[in-house]
Amino acid sequence: MLAYIGRRAILAIFTVWAISVLAFAIIQLPPGDYVTSYIAQMASMGSVVSDEEAQNLRIQYGLGQPMYVQYLKWMRLIVQGNFGMSMEWRRPVTEVIGERLWLTVVVSVAALILTWVLGLPIGIYSAVRQYSVGDYVATFVGFIGLAVPNFLLALVLLYLGFVMFNAHIGGLFSPELQDAPWSAARVWDLLQHLPIPALILGLAGTAQQIRIMRANLLDELRKPYVVTARSKGLSEARVILKYPVRVALNPFASTIGYTLPYIVSGSIIVSVVLGLPTVGPLLLKALIAQDMFLAGTIVLLLGVMTVIGTLISDILLVWIDPRIRLEET
Amino acid sequence: MTDLGRTPRTRQRRSRIVMALGVGLLTTVLAAGALAQMAKSGLIGKLEGPEVVTDPAKFPKTFNEAPQLAALVKAGRLPAVAERVGQDPLVIKPLHEIGKYGGTWRGGFTGPADFWNGFRCCSGPDHLMFWDYTGDKAVPNIARGLEMQDGGRAWLLHLRRGMKWSDGKPFTADDFVFWFEDIYRNKDLVPTPSAAMAINGKQGTIEKVDTHTVRFKFPEPYFMLPDVLAGSTDLGGQWSAYRGLGGFAPAHYLKQFHPKYAGEAELDRKVKEAKFDSWVRMFLAKNDWALNPDLPVLSPWKTVTPINTPTWTLERNPYSVFVDTAGNQLPYIDRVVLTLGENLEVINLRAIAGEYDFQQRHIDLGKLPVFIENQAKGGYKVYLDPGDYGGDMIIKFNLNYDADPEIGKWFNTADFRRALALGIDRDQINETFWLGTGTPSSVVPADSNKYNPGPQYRKLWATLDVKKANEMLDKIGLAKKDAQGYRLRSDGKGRLRIEIMTLGGQFVQYTQISEMIREQWKKIGIDLTVQEVERSLALKRTAANEQQLGAWNNDGSEHLFTFPLHVFPFELAAVASSGPLYVKWFHSAGAQGKEPEPRMKELMEKWKKAFGVPEKERIQLGKEIWKIAAEEVYIIGVIGMGPASMGVRVVKNNMGNIPSRQYNSPDGKTPGISRPATFFYKK
Amino acid sequence: MTAEPEVALDPASAPLPGPSSVGDAREQRVYVASQWQLMWWRFRKHKIAVVSGLVVIAFYAGVLGADFLAYADPDASEAQRSLMPPQRVYWFDGWRFGPYVYAVKGARDPQSFKRVYRADPSQKIPIRFFAEGFEYRVLGLIPTSRHLIGVDGGLDAGQTVFLLGTDVQGRDLWSRLMYGTRISLTIGLFGVTVSLVLGVVLGGLSGFYGGVADTVIQRTIEILRSIPTIPLWMGLAAALPREWSVLQVYFAITIIISLLGWTDLARVVRGRFLAMREEDFVVSARLVGCSQMRTIFVHMVPSFMSHIIAATTLALPAMIISETALSFLGLGLRPPAISWGVLLQQAQNVQTVAISPWLMLPAVPVIIAVMAFNFLGDGLRDAADPYGR
Repeated sequence: MLAYIGRRAILAIFTVWAISVLAFAIIQLPPGDYVTSYIAQMASMGSVVSDEEAQNLRIQYGLGQPMYVQYLKWMRLIVQGNFGMSMEWRRPVTEVIGERLWLTVVVSVAALILTWVLGLPIGIYSAVRQYSVGDYVATFVGFIGLAVPNFLLALVLLYLGFVMFNAHIGGLFSPELQDAPWSAARVWDLLQHLPIPALILGLAGTAQQIRIMRANLLDELRKPYVVTARSKGLSEARVILKYPVRVALNPFASTIGYTLPYIVSGSIIVSVVLGLPTVGPLLLKALIAQDMFLAGTIVLLLGVMTVIGTLISDILLVWIDPRIRLEET
Repeated sequence: MTDLGRTPRTRQRRSRIVMALGVGLLTTVLAAGALAQMAKSGLIGKLEGPEVVTDPAKFPKTFNEAPQLAALVKAGRLPAVAERVGQDPLVIKPLHEIGKYGGTWRGGFTGPADFWNGFRCCSGPDHLMFWDYTGDKAVPNIARGLEMQDGGRAWLLHLRRGMKWSDGKPFTADDFVFWFEDIYRNKDLVPTPSAAMAINGKQGTIEKVDTHTVRFKFPEPYFMLPDVLAGSTDLGGQWSAYRGLGGFAPAHYLKQFHPKYAGEAELDRKVKEAKFDSWVRMFLAKNDWALNPDLPVLSPWKTVTPINTPTWTLERNPYSVFVDTAGNQLPYIDRVVLTLGENLEVINLRAIAGEYDFQQRHIDLGKLPVFIENQAKGGYKVYLDPGDYGGDMIIKFNLNYDADPEIGKWFNTADFRRALALGIDRDQINETFWLGTGTPSSVVPADSNKYNPGPQYRKLWATLDVKKANEMLDKIGLAKKDAQGYRLRSDGKGRLRIEIMTLGGQFVQYTQISEMIREQWKKIGIDLTVQEVERSLALKRTAANEQQLGAWNNDGSEHLFTFPLHVFPFELAAVASSGPLYVKWFHSAGAQGKEPEPRMKELMEKWKKAFGVPEKERIQLGKEIWKIAAEEVYIIGVIGMGPASMGVRVVKNNMGNIPSRQYNSPDGKTPGISRPATFFYKK
Repeated sequence: MTAEPEVALDPASAPLPGPSSVGDAREQRVYVASQWQLMWWRFRKHKIAVVSGLVVIAFYAGVLGADFLAYADPDASEAQRSLMPPQRVYWFDGWRFGPYVYAVKGARDPQSFKRVYRADPSQKIPIRFFAEGFEYRVLGLIPTSRHLIGVDGGLDAGQTVFLLGTDVQGRDLWSRLMYGTRISLTIGLFGVTVSLVLGVVLGGLSGFYGGVADTVIQRTIEILRSIPTIPLWMGLAAALPREWSVLQVYFAITIIISLLGWTDLARVVRGRFLAMREEDFVVSARLVGCSQMRTIFVHMVPSFMSHIIAATTLALPAMIISETALSFLGLGLRPPAISWGVLLQQAQNVQTVAISPWLMLPAVPVIIAVMAFNFLGDGLRDAADPYGR
């Protein structure tokens, strides 16, 4: 077991390193660099940046050097715990990202929890009452969530929220508590604002969970031990919940692995539309402005988050399901 | 794919011309009616604004201040208001009434690149001279007076006695000398000298006459200096301080970041501690009005939480030199809070919901009906401030394009440009994208602008005349057409295809408009491709002379001499250019680049000349410049004098001293020109 | 999904066939039926999947006949028709079946700045079937100008019919939707093909050979799945040369999307290969002396072909959603190209939601298509292994 965890951990580290290289490469792909973007911005406002000034800026930001040199410089900084300076925000990257990363995690996890809270019961119901009207309706609704483009839904909900409830537009906090330090009131405020983003993000994943739960549970329900349990006189609820559901839950541990990157990535677009103070909108702007360190760090952190998520889910899976342990060894 | 497997239809082209003419007639009638109606709808008001009182006899004798400042004075933490304001306060007569102290102004901004937002609303403005509310005349502002000497070769700037920076230290001529000697002339801080400090290419100097008098000296007469000091130029206040420009700087504060005054070792230590890459980066960051809360300023509000945080907060400057005619120290409003909007839809939605008190920036004209619909619910009113420049949307021909000599040849043929200009149905575009609020126009500025060459130039080559356009194109040698009706190149290499470069995500929807023009130009046989690109790519390609046609606007061009960028090729760094090689020629006095064709050369020379002649002659030269521009159609004007670019204003009903119409211009730092320091909350 | 109790497919548990048993004929059919026939029968039982299959076929028919179904030039803008709501169609003219619409006059309300349209009851415009409209070529070859519906005089009349209303530039939404469908659905196909090829090849290598190749490919898959897709897309899309025409960008986008989509397919293929390596029939094929290539392609691949089909069908909706998302970000297709993503991107603003909500209708085919592909894929997957459970 420990050996397994050890191996996965080493692999995870390797994956993270690979992500860092890929992230850096992606950011360098578009032609030009931050200074070109900066000049563009200035020009569109009527200010002129002379060639010499541009040259100065390039030297000062170290943009004139070859790619691998810049990459190594970045790696060196990271190892020291310094993620570099954001050129656009003119602050250390860690400050710019600040609490946004935690908020991204919170929103993603909230969406994940929502997919379980909605998906599991509906999946169970569907399996148990197979082919009933309820089954078809539930599956259908689940699939609608999968199919609706969530950014459109986000805008519609935002507008409806304003028109019908006079809700504050977008964001995860009320204006007064936006920059306040953490307190019970702020946490409660956050929880109040979470449902809509979590719903929009989690809707697609919900359909997946319903399908998987339903399929797994159906398989389990056919097994002899269920027939035995029923014939022994256990109540229907116990028959279903005590054993089959638990077994059917196994794959969920592994679904964290691939649902998390999906949700985190999907949250970028939805965050932009909803105006959430998460990492998504920041990343988008950074990529367009080619703010190298900021964009690279965010992509790296997102990658790390998902790798850790996968690691945890793999470990969970092994822990829950002894069969896999045997398989691996 | 709309072009796959479909042939354009010749038969329906003819019938569509008929239909188009019919619709065009109907549209004109409707548009005229709508325009008249629109003025009645109350969205565009009368131009008005507060005035600066210059007659010392009318200055207030006693002063008041905001309650929280009064409390500080009482506690001994602040000197008395009369002492803070000084003997020569900047007196502003509020537009409607004397206001009340208090309140927080809520607005929205989009991030650290949106510094114009703060400068426009809250910087005072802090230019040495500034425009009156009509945008026409430059009047003394931070400087008490400006005196011309030596036939225009020297300008005496009188400062205000007792005027102080926001930290209480005196604002004197030393701040100008410091800026000139230690910032402007330092090649690390300012690598290229500014054209604003030069006349005919020759740089000027600044010298101290006494504590409150500064002299700008130039080798030749520089009659334009007052306008340059008033405009948003390199000498226009602290907005350009982050690039080492501005004309003055708080010497007492910045000296600690300058190697000449702080020791090298000491400075290095500071740089490392603050995690900057170099002392230059640190100095310029410290000199940034939007970024450094410690920077002493002259504006009515100063930054408290900087622009690179989610909330850009500004608070009243206790040493503000601005007062109203009753002696109340301005601003009335205590704080300005700009919250970060992650995208433009969110900002607009918040404005619609009434979450902003006064928002002019980033408001999308296309959403006008939604704004109007929600006025009652949101407790605000919508105003339109059309700009004075001829082109909310323009199309530039790159006269230097040489990658394809055939295209280059046509771009340099005046009748080709004119014909294309005649092929655009401006009424359609106006109705669709400006909701009818713009004016179909050539590039010339509004009739009220002093450089306007005359009303007949408004429509010169700026109407829809498909018949004439076709005739002109036939005559110049493009008469042959292919089976689909597109004109063939004269060099026999097939269809003539030209490309226009547009930017997405702007206040004006250049891409969609260009698509519409593409459809319209089919009728005159021109095949246009629309290429939307990112800003930085646009700049790169333009500077590399790869652009054919470029779509943009010519805002600022109504101030022809401070903003020539969109009148003739003036800068390499432009998203659309009429000729990058001409730019080089212009700036190198003929040594580099390519000599412009005769009429453009004439235009450029008139422009250069204007800086060194008195105002009357300058105005005459300005008119001639616009005449040439309108006749040669280097740039096609599509829709002008529209409110699309920061011309839609949303103001809460409880705010006072709000003008019904403002002069909308970057030079006027709108709404700065309406002196937001005089805005107040009625309740 | 589930097995049918009536048809026992496990020969061992089936009752011995007797000459007089009622289920004789049916069981005989089962025994001699081919794999594909069994699949079809199983598939047929899943009603929703069948319906979805029909829907998908209808969609692709629409793709081929986009020109026919559209009746207005999707690029023809006309400011006087800007933001027209969908026209009400009256089906019966008196007692006869004769659909028609009223002519519409529009103007901009000077107070609200909205465009207001009033139907003119005095002017009836009958809708004709197989009417004349703009010219196009069927399958790129045969020129014609017939469309499904249209009005008299084609485009000579100043009016026409606007079933779904118009957009900001006055362009007919229905026609644009037809062309958009064509592009969105074909992008999916191309992308899925690329994913398929990559997935089968790499998954196969991984599963069949195992060892080092397996580890490397597995790790690559993991890395690719851990990277948030948006930055990857953005970077790749931003790196595309701007000189490329819309067509070239279109292909590049599909390749970019499919570069990430192959991972799921590869895992499925790998899993199948791993499971099948130990199967008797494979071992015996090797023992008999078949070459590796032959073993793979003749013996192994056909047996999981059905799984591949199912997985591919399930990958399509992801392609569609990806294209929509990319276009929304401004990275995918852009105007003047028309796709669902482009149409939705143009509807992604407050004024659409508040004042012209019909512009969001392109979301409906997106939803239907995604659901149809999902159900179809589900059905195929269940039917994929008729010998299993």
